Amino acid sequence: MSVYLEKLRHFRLAIKQHGGIIGAYLNFYRTDELKWGDLIGEDKFGNKYFQNRHYFIGRSRWVQYSDAVGMDYDGSQIPPEWHRWLHYIGDEPPTTAPPVKRSWMVDHKPNLTGTPEQYVPYSTVKPKITAWEPPKA
Amino acid sequence: MLKAGLSLLRSSQVACFRQFPLSRTATSRGLHDFQQVAPKDCVSVVPYREASNETTTTTRKPYSPFRVEDPRNNMVDYVFARIDDLVNWGHKSSMWPLTFGLACCAIEMMHFAAPRYDMDRFGVVFRGSPRQADVMIVAGTLTNKMTPAFRKVYDQMPDPRWVISMGSCANGGGYYYHSYSVVRGCNRVVPVDIYVPGCPPTAEALLYSVLQLLRKVKQDKSNQIWYRKL
Repeated sequence: MSVYLEKLRHFRLAIKQHGGIIGAYLNFYRTDELKWGDLIGEDKFGNKYFQNRHYFIGRSRWVQYSDAVGMDYDGSQIPPEWHRWLHYIGDEPPTTAPPVKRSWMVDHKPNLTGTPEQYVPYSTVKPKITAWEPPKA
Repeated sequence: MLKAGLSLLRSSQVACFRQFPLSRTATSRGLHDFQQVAPKDCVSVVPYREASNETTTTTRKPYSPFRVEDPRNNMVDYVFARIDDLVNWGHKSSMWPLTFGLACCAIEMMHFAAPRYDMDRFGVVFRGSPRQADVMIVAGTLTNKMTPAFRKVYDQMPDPRWVISMGSCANGGGYYYHSYSVVRGCNRVVPVDIYVPGCPPTAEALLYSVLQLLRKVKQDKSNQIWYRKL
């Protein structure tokens, strides 16, 4: 019985964290998940990172993507310093253990496939094969 | 001597990666125990966001990738953009792949279907028949002997159809590039939408490729193009 009461409590807390029934529904629509947890930090893109050790190990840390990306959120939008925390490589989030800023480090870019800035490979040598041209009927 | 060198190496490593808690690996403490990592006063720290302001409201990116300027005067454009949105939503919500498992990549494709990665949550369900499939996942080495059947199966798929080339062998021959009996990439036979690198790619990589394909499908504007060409 207490197990079910616990579930109810978590459900109530999750709804409370998302600001009521409507907010929780909208969040569930976007992320397919309803969780509550501590806000660990926020990166410069506006993604928010949460943690709740109550959940199972692979699910105890999660990200709430920035509103600026809407429904087009993508795993590559997470910068590396948060990636290592989110994937349990280390327990220290970059809020408490900030990474050393080196001169050769560039800004993080998400996967640009499907956008005008996408990388398109090109060859600089003569093609070794030629396409077959079907005979005109 | 050796011991001193090792300890020197160790200390230099520690100096290099001071920001990582190396001492933590030495203890037997697992990730499971319920230990508060961040102190309570760090919870609302916003360290990396330059222009952090509580009152700023970020505008949410709209669902549709198509923007119509001045919809009142471009009603037809607007309608066709919405038609495209609707059709694309239908396509990307039920992307049924045809299993074209040819080699070990097919094992990873099976993992993608299994509960851990659970492709069904994206509406991706394997079909056995090309006539019911939207996307073909070419998983494995495409041999010369298989190629006519491969092309025939592709031709049997109804339009619109997509192809995901999975693994090095399907991308460009891969390990068997110099073999006498292997096609150097399935894009010599069919047009390919998404290439997944890896030998074999993980199930997670295949999942990501499917998400990329859904992103591509969402941007498809064939109805608008059809109207523009009238």
